[in-house]
Amino acid sequence: MVAVAARDVVRRYGDTVALDGVSLEIDAGEIYCLIGPNGAGKTTLVRCLTGTTTLDAGEVEVLGGPPATVARHRVGLLPQSFAPASRLTPRELVGYYAGLYEESRDIDTVLAEVGLDAARTTWYEDLSGGEQRRVCVAAALVNDPEVLVLDEPTTGIDPAGRRAVWRLLESLRDAGTTVLVTTHDMGEATRLADTVGLLADGDLVASGSPSTLIESYGGGNRVVVETDAAVDGAIAGFTPTETDTGLVFEGVAPTDIGAVVRGLDEAGIAFGGLRWREPDLEDVYLAVTEADRGTLEGGS
Amino acid sequence: MTRRARVVAEAVAGWRAFRRRRTAMFFTFAFPVLLVVIFGALVTTSAGASGGLFTEPPAYYVPGYLAVVVLFTPLTRVGSSVARHRAGNRFEKLATTPLTRGEWLAAHTAVNAVVVGAASALVLALVVGLTGASVALAAMPAVAALVVVAVVVFCGIGAVLGRVAESRDGVVAASNAIAVPLVFLSETFVPPSLLPAWFRPVVSLSPLTYFSRAVRAVAVTGDPWVVDAVVLVVVAAAAFAAGAVAIPHTD
Repeated sequence: MVAVAARDVVRRYGDTVALDGVSLEIDAGEIYCLIGPNGAGKTTLVRCLTGTTTLDAGEVEVLGGPPATVARHRVGLLPQSFAPASRLTPRELVGYYAGLYEESRDIDTVLAEVGLDAARTTWYEDLSGGEQRRVCVAAALVNDPEVLVLDEPTTGIDPAGRRAVWRLLESLRDAGTTVLVTTHDMGEATRLADTVGLLADGDLVASGSPSTLIESYGGGNRVVVETDAAVDGAIAGFTPTETDTGLVFEGVAPTDIGAVVRGLDEAGIAFGGLRWREPDLEDVYLAVTEADRGTLEGGS
Repeated sequence: MTRRARVVAEAVAGWRAFRRRRTAMFFTFAFPVLLVVIFGALVTTSAGASGGLFTEPPAYYVPGYLAVVVLFTPLTRVGSSVARHRAGNRFEKLATTPLTRGEWLAAHTAVNAVVVGAASALVLALVVGLTGASVALAAMPAVAALVVVAVVVFCGIGAVLGRVAESRDGVVAASNAIAVPLVFLSETFVPPSLLPAWFRPVVSLSPLTYFSRAVRAVAVTGDPWVVDAVVLVVVAAAAFAAGAVAIPHTD
């Protein structure tokens, strides 16, 4: 069952086209991670899906109807750069949002879930950046929504806090909540997402499960060499590409690593470090956004 | 959850936020007190002098001192709150909750009514104590009602300012630009007789004029005040509606 759907959504701000015909579907009970560069249109898409902006074209459905017609308690939102009243405590803030709904979850339970037991009576302005963000996540959860939309929920949260939020979102998903998350953290998207949507220049340029995207766009295994040296031609049968930090040899199987190292030695190329790795979502992100940028530049 | 419960939740949060900003709280009460001390006690002009400011009997200025509280506090506070909510994307969040824009404004108007009510009581006591102004105690419930209606007027206008101004600084500047002329040109401190004849009709455009006239009539002169009160109520309804519509619910 589809919980959230966007069809050919267009949103312009003056001459700027923020969304240029975006279509996507989010199944009920899945975590959908929206990734993309700054200015790609992620926040605008979130606003379209939550009914907090108007569409210039296309349509959006949330839980079977336009966002404006959906009962408010069924959707939870954490907006980007959300800053609640600074001199309320987490307990007061979450309690305030709970008070706006017919029914809500227990405030202390929600605070415990985001790891704020100890800080529940500290003013928001006195919390760390990560704790503040967790209060905001708690405020989005307190109405026990069926669809939870979080715009960059883990920005500024330390690794332990981030993992706590991830576990929480996974447990919500397991309980049937549909979760839409925007993020710049590819590790987060890989860990959390059932489906990843990659937005670039207002267009959804790729979507699928992390493994499908990596398989389709991530390229092969690679050896990354930290060096200032340039290479002319192939080494051990592999032609490297130069990056800001060194050389990348694509398609290197683990059994070929020794040959590459010997080839570098024979070519007299000094290097500070060398590692072999499999492709990940970051490679997908870079490949797709750079290809998209190349298409745009080529087309202009 | 009833509408009333949502308004209470918003008002409690708004009240707590205000109570904990001690500087704002201090000056909300200190500003009108300073004004009473300066113009009620330090600047003394004999009542009945041939002309100039502060030559009327002390009770004449009671509505003026109340007008200062009723005007500045809601205008600046609600305007700033709207600007702060916009800057923190709080309206974007609230747009996905059951709280309506009208309920938000009602909650913040209620908080302002409490704050302004307390400040008004303080100012009234000071004016009576320092200047010897004579006011009818029996009229106090009516004065309180007029204060609340005026608070509704300026909370509504404050919400519109918060929408129009781009920042809190902009709200404060715009509030001052509107409030300073109003406080002197609304039959508060400057009697109409001191204004040019051609300008006097303009005074009727200020909602504060009707507050001032009604308070003076009910608490000081005993003149009829219902018409002025009705005008104030009508303006309050219009300002509240305009303010509620002005509160952003989308980007």
